[in-house]
Amino acid sequence: MDRTLKARLEIRLGTFLHGAVRQRGDETEIRVAPGDVPQVLTILHDSIDLRFEILADLTGVDTGNEMQVVYHLWSPSSPDWLRVVAEGISREDPRAPSATFLWTGAEWLEREAYDMFGIVFEGNRDLRRILMPADYMSFPLRKDFLLADDASRSPGAGVRHSERASRPATLAHDAPGSPGDPAIRRAPAS
Amino acid sequence: MPDRPTAHSDNADPRRFRSSPGSAAEAENANPRYFESADDPRIMLEQDIGSDLYEPIPPFPTRTEREGEFYSLADGQMFLNVGPQHPATHGVLRLVLKLSGEQIVDVDPVIGYLHRGVEKICENCDYYHVIDQVDPLEYLSSLFQEWPAVMAFEKIMDVEVPRRAEYIRVLTGELLRISSHTLYMGFMALDLGGLTPILYSFIERDEISEMLASITGARMLFNYFRIGGVNGDLNHEFMSRLGDWMSRAGKQAEAITGLLNENEIFVRRMRPIGRLDRATALRYGVTGANIRASGVPFDVRRAHPYSIYPELDFNIPTREEGDSLARYLMRVDEIKESIRIIDQCLHQMPDGPIMARLPRLLRPRPGRAWAAVEAPRGMLGVYAISDGSDQPFRFRIHDPSFMNLEVVPALLPGNLLADTMAVVSSLDPVMGGVDR
Repeated sequence: MDRTLKARLEIRLGTFLHGAVRQRGDETEIRVAPGDVPQVLTILHDSIDLRFEILADLTGVDTGNEMQVVYHLWSPSSPDWLRVVAEGISREDPRAPSATFLWTGAEWLEREAYDMFGIVFEGNRDLRRILMPADYMSFPLRKDFLLADDASRSPGAGVRHSERASRPATLAHDAPGSPGDPAIRRAPAS
Repeated sequence: MPDRPTAHSDNADPRRFRSSPGSAAEAENANPRYFESADDPRIMLEQDIGSDLYEPIPPFPTRTEREGEFYSLADGQMFLNVGPQHPATHGVLRLVLKLSGEQIVDVDPVIGYLHRGVEKICENCDYYHVIDQVDPLEYLSSLFQEWPAVMAFEKIMDVEVPRRAEYIRVLTGELLRISSHTLYMGFMALDLGGLTPILYSFIERDEISEMLASITGARMLFNYFRIGGVNGDLNHEFMSRLGDWMSRAGKQAEAITGLLNENEIFVRRMRPIGRLDRATALRYGVTGANIRASGVPFDVRRAHPYSIYPELDFNIPTREEGDSLARYLMRVDEIKESIRIIDQCLHQMPDGPIMARLPRLLRPRPGRAWAAVEAPRGMLGVYAISDGSDQPFRFRIHDPSFMNLEVVPALLPGNLLADTMAVVSSLDPVMGGVDR
């Protein structure tokens, strides 16, 4: 856990941060608005005391309530991994700015996030499907994309033995697809 | 420039795209070649997969800026489709090349032919089941696929791994790294037309596969690492095989590298092609031996130490040239370092348990973790989110081959057609990992 990194991040990114800088183990996490991502990444990449020069990963997350874009960065100036979470992207029309202006390699990662979650990265020159066929029409890693054999999540199809004890019974008003639908797994509030 | 041929100047036939979802009967009447997918009624499938499937030019209008730029030809240029079933593509990789004469102008790699949706499957698996789901992704070094997965879960659950288990992980991992690099050297030569080195590579690989089979029970897909440790302890057969092999490993490595390193044809062929400079490598997120061959000493084992690597004494070799030969020679250097690490593991191996005590059904508390290891092809990371149930809420696999392949369009232009496969295979992508 790198305490000095926390202090440096708070000085450099003060107004952009949503909530506190969280640290656990060898990871430091900050949360920002999707609109601020280009500025935040530029500061992280270019500041002389931060120098996060390697984009370790870029991926999407569907929490069931919203979309997130998660960046993992590495810097020679800190022993921690830095996780930047762009939170609060709407599930209906997910849009986020592209990181390709800093890391050209983000292009394929963003294509994959688009392919899997439908997140549109504005500024990416080549945002087409990459793993799924070009004429595919769903976004398979979204939480409302249920597998055909996924009995534990499909409404009315029963629950798995291991989950029977703790999973509450389906309520009548939890229509499929509604916010209360237990078939859609939602991330815990954190 | 109306007289220039473009990809879609006369293509008004939306053969594979339906603009709006309609009923199946309607679509069948419209075009009897299509039928409704059983999985998703919005998808229409082709009755027969025609010969047009691998036409270089996609049969639908270009969708992005870059695609439009790529699929329009200037005077004297042509498209050439390579793959996906090509003996030298290391799996099912398709490259659309834009050529001017024999010189490559641009490349559009098409991937996804091996996509199995493993991330989705893992989100519907128990924590223990994830390990054998990720195993076959990068099939040449499958222990390295298991490693970040179990590391991420251990971080979420705050499990402390016994030291003997960590030593066994490093020992088996480094053996597999040697096996994978040796195979790379053979395939590298094979793609340039040299048939002999691959035979020597397989001798080494077979030794190591047999060795690992004696403790894991499998030769390729080991399913050996567990959350909190490893599945089996070292046994007599493994130790005797390893001791036998270690006594001549150094000499054997020299013999294999001597086949190629002193081969003038090989060296002069590899030296000028596919030069990757330091800044481009950083911008493209290239990792592993490929970025170290460009002069960036980024190795997760030192850059972000995990397991017992901080206690071990080894170097991170780098090279400045950044060309295909440098990438090849990097692997040779790494094999020597791996032999040193194995030697130290054997001497320092502590006694003790190989598994932490964990319940049969894991329900970790909600949390997130990112773990990365240095796989033979680069940084392999896993981002796992737990929501408190017995299955991971999100399971992201970051594969090094995916990033290393992305740099191909930056490396190939300017080279000759014959160098395509030499450059691609010098980056060492494994398509199972790329497509996941």
